[in-house]
Amino acid sequence: MAREATLAAPVARPLLSRRARELLTGYAYLLPVAVALGGTVVVPIVKAMQMSLYNHVLIKPQEYRFIGLANYVRLLRDEVFWLSLWNSFVWVFGSVSLQFAGGFAAALLLHQGFRGRAVFRTLTLLPWIIPGVVVALIWEFLYQPNYGALNDVLARLGLMTEKVAWLSNPQLAMPAVIATNVWRGVPFFAIMLLAGLQAIPEELYEAARVDGAGVLDRFRHLTLPMLRPIIVVATATRIIWTFNYADLIFVMTSGGPANATQITSTYTLMQAYSNLDFGYAATLSVVLLLIMLAFTVLYLKLTRGVEPVA
Amino acid sequence: MSARAGSPGRGDLAERVLGGPVLWLGLLGLFVFAMAPFAWVLLASFKTRTELYATPLVYLPASINAANYVDAWTSRLTPFSRFFANSLWVSSVTMVATTAISILAGYALARFRFAGRQTFLLVFLATQMFPAVLLIAPLLSQWHALGLIDTYQALIYSNFSFTVPFTVWMLVGYFESIPRELEESAMMDGCGRFGALCRVVLPLAAPGVAATAIFAFVSSWSELLFAITFTSQTEMRTLSAGLLFMVGQYEIQWGQLSAGVIISTVPVAILFTFLQRHLIRGLTAGALKG
Repeated sequence: MAREATLAAPVARPLLSRRARELLTGYAYLLPVAVALGGTVVVPIVKAMQMSLYNHVLIKPQEYRFIGLANYVRLLRDEVFWLSLWNSFVWVFGSVSLQFAGGFAAALLLHQGFRGRAVFRTLTLLPWIIPGVVVALIWEFLYQPNYGALNDVLARLGLMTEKVAWLSNPQLAMPAVIATNVWRGVPFFAIMLLAGLQAIPEELYEAARVDGAGVLDRFRHLTLPMLRPIIVVATATRIIWTFNYADLIFVMTSGGPANATQITSTYTLMQAYSNLDFGYAATLSVVLLLIMLAFTVLYLKLTRGVEPVA
Repeated sequence: MSARAGSPGRGDLAERVLGGPVLWLGLLGLFVFAMAPFAWVLLASFKTRTELYATPLVYLPASINAANYVDAWTSRLTPFSRFFANSLWVSSVTMVATTAISILAGYALARFRFAGRQTFLLVFLATQMFPAVLLIAPLLSQWHALGLIDTYQALIYSNFSFTVPFTVWMLVGYFESIPRELEESAMMDGCGRFGALCRVVLPLAAPGVAATAIFAFVSSWSELLFAITFTSQTEMRTLSAGLLFMVGQYEIQWGQLSAGVIISTVPVAILFTFLQRHLIRGLTAGALKG
């Protein structure tokens, strides 16, 4: 970008053709954004790749040296990494599928005409807009074994006899953090699918009704096919986002107990924060990036296939 | 499922059941699911210590007691007044700067045809998919080298990494929906490119620009990982970092923490309520296009 920057200087010179002027103005307008992203995304990514080739532990500066691909070899042999990858899969699949199901149901409900719909819609969308840390703490409080509401409610309903420590039980911790993420993510799908539903012309439903299609037929043969593009886009975006998302688990369990909720992105964070092993953390993040890029390419291929439908 | 409620007599049995009892039960369930956790924390923020740790659990505080808010706001260990001011400053500056530079970039990508345009668009899309954890270690050493640890700049610059790609992407869509002819006639009347952008395009794109700005504000307000990594002093913490810091302190003070949670939620909830229509349109526009 630096080269375009120097080129952009003579923009005002009238000697240039209109086309050339457009080109240079375009680059000049893009310059601030290019600098901002260059400094906070491009340079850091290159730096991360470089860091991954070094033995770089903050508390052992005397051992700092180039070690080639040794960090990557270590990663391949690291059982916790493979566990974290599996956990990531469970986390993403559990979160996104339940968010989708809940969000779809919510969108269908919110699409119906009833009084007070606008207020109702705003309220139900709130969990999505509040900070991740806030979501995590609200649920940590609900899950608290002695003073939290969940155990108490379940006991009062007669569904539970003993108090459960949701976040420190290795079997329950993952479902518990997924449930929290579902609470947070349902509004996202609700918003996207609601917008999709509202974009379907009402005449199509009228025509289907005239043809004698019942409500379930209309849903299967009209609503679902019309929503397909937005379903694909929303789900793919959400998969990527959830895979990368570390805040909730980081705050609620830090990946514990015994790595039961350790997903790859929190494992990366723990390597940096707890072990101060920046070399290995960088290696993990580069691998995370590669997985995401592969998925993105797949997703772009998939959506290109969707376009004609839209 | 366009089973419009309130058309009884017409349609089949399934339609009537779905439009009646199922609709109302579903709405009730949705409401409880979304609101109950908020209600729990809101009530807890008004409880006294005794009420918070009572067995059996006390759900309703005996009185509306603001002590937890006062304590959190004025606490010396976790001064929420300071955290609030920090969050407000970092998010506002991020919002203004992001919006300003994204308008220029979005406009250029929407209007000019130049080499590398497609590449730029693809880069903005791909950047949104990068994991934040990828940037933590390299950005930390970068800010350290530049002497920016414990400064607002470090947080604001870092926030660009996730606000800018999204806002540019959203604004390109908004600008493309505005007819070219309007600014062309303005330019014939002697306006420059920049003048036409400011006087003709921006007023028309105002709702989109507002939604974009709000998005930048809200996502900066929520940011956690950069805030805890690039600051170490209590006075420099944002609300998210301050809340996490509070949990790290000895025993969790659920009363104060609940007050802190409510303090952190209210501003974004208010912004969202006022601007949700524009924000939602902006968010879904790209997806709806296919």
